[in-house]
Amino acid sequence: MHGGLGQGIGQALLEAARYNEDGQLESASYMDYAMPRADDLPFYIVDHSQGTPCTHNPLGAKGCGEAGAIGSPPTVVNAVIDALQSGGKNVTHIDMPLTPHRVWSAMNNA
Amino acid sequence: MYAFDIERPTTVAEAVNALKTDEAQPLGGGQTLIPTLKARLAAPSKLVSLSAIAEMIGISREGSTIRIGGATTHGQVATELAESYPALGYLASKIGDPAVRNRGTIGGSVANNDPAACYPAACLASGATITTNTRDIAADDFFLGMFETALEEDEIVTAVTFPVPEKADYQKFEQPASRFPLVGVFVAKHDDGVRVAVTGASESGVFRWTEAEEALSADFSAGALDGLSVDADGMITDLHGDGAYRAHLIKVLTGRAVTASR
Repeated sequence: MHGGLGQGIGQALLEAARYNEDGQLESASYMDYAMPRADDLPFYIVDHSQGTPCTHNPLGAKGCGEAGAIGSPPTVVNAVIDALQSGGKNVTHIDMPLTPHRVWSAMNNA
Repeated sequence: MYAFDIERPTTVAEAVNALKTDEAQPLGGGQTLIPTLKARLAAPSKLVSLSAIAEMIGISREGSTIRIGGATTHGQVATELAESYPALGYLASKIGDPAVRNRGTIGGSVANNDPAACYPAACLASGATITTNTRDIAADDFFLGMFETALEEDEIVTAVTFPVPEKADYQKFEQPASRFPLVGVFVAKHDDGVRVAVTGASESGVFRWTEAEEALSADFSAGALDGLSVDADGMITDLHGDGAYRAHLIKVLTGRAVTASR
């Protein structure tokens, strides 16, 4: 769960494969490709109380790693948009990743 | 990485001698040079390590100045200056990660003059003096542009001497991948005025924001910056931010540094 959340939050805020106009990959190393690290992420509270065990195997086990990766990008992006709108900025969309530069640009254009 | 020879002299004189060989290159802590060699972007025939030269390692207080040997690591600066020059100790404590701080040196950082390095901002704002094996160079005359310094071929940075300001602070806005400053601002309040040095932002490397210096010398408060702005022309544009964003950050970080100065 935590790994999936890290992937999703990384996608929402940090990670971007960027090419220049000549097709050169600019984010070709970790000096420019922002992989999420432990200090980019919060502590999580994971609620297991609504578990729905699988009925097709004795353990009731099923894959769930993707859950965090799927739910977290819209959660983070919507939170940023909500914060901007609460602050009086008419922003309805920012392309991921929501880097400081992109958020600042969106605020200036709102 | 291509093959090379390495020498580990124990005195500055031996190091200078070793560097006279064709294509010999000095090696500080290696935190820039070694990755460059690994990527095969440089192929010196010989490296001359400066890390075993005792006279270039360590920190000493001389009156109201602090002298840091050129081969002193960021980790040592972070630990030893936490009390005596907190802004500089803090700056050193935020360079790279623990492995980088354990190897990287102040002499290597200023000699390389990466446009996004932290130390050049501290040198310029403090009014530091860079000492080499042949002469003393004022920081104002040392940093000439991106990766360019006043150093001659085979000249070695043996020490950097910092006057300790009344108050100072360093603010770094990190580029999210490399954690180098996207913009870093060092503000230092001296007896005779305020100095503001900016790294990470300009295509000409580290520079002083003189307009802010004048305003802050008259009134050392973040409010003194109201009405000032930095021209986005000549600021770096890359995939992490454009020139206008960097210009904006310079003013924000300068204000924060003034407020946080101690």
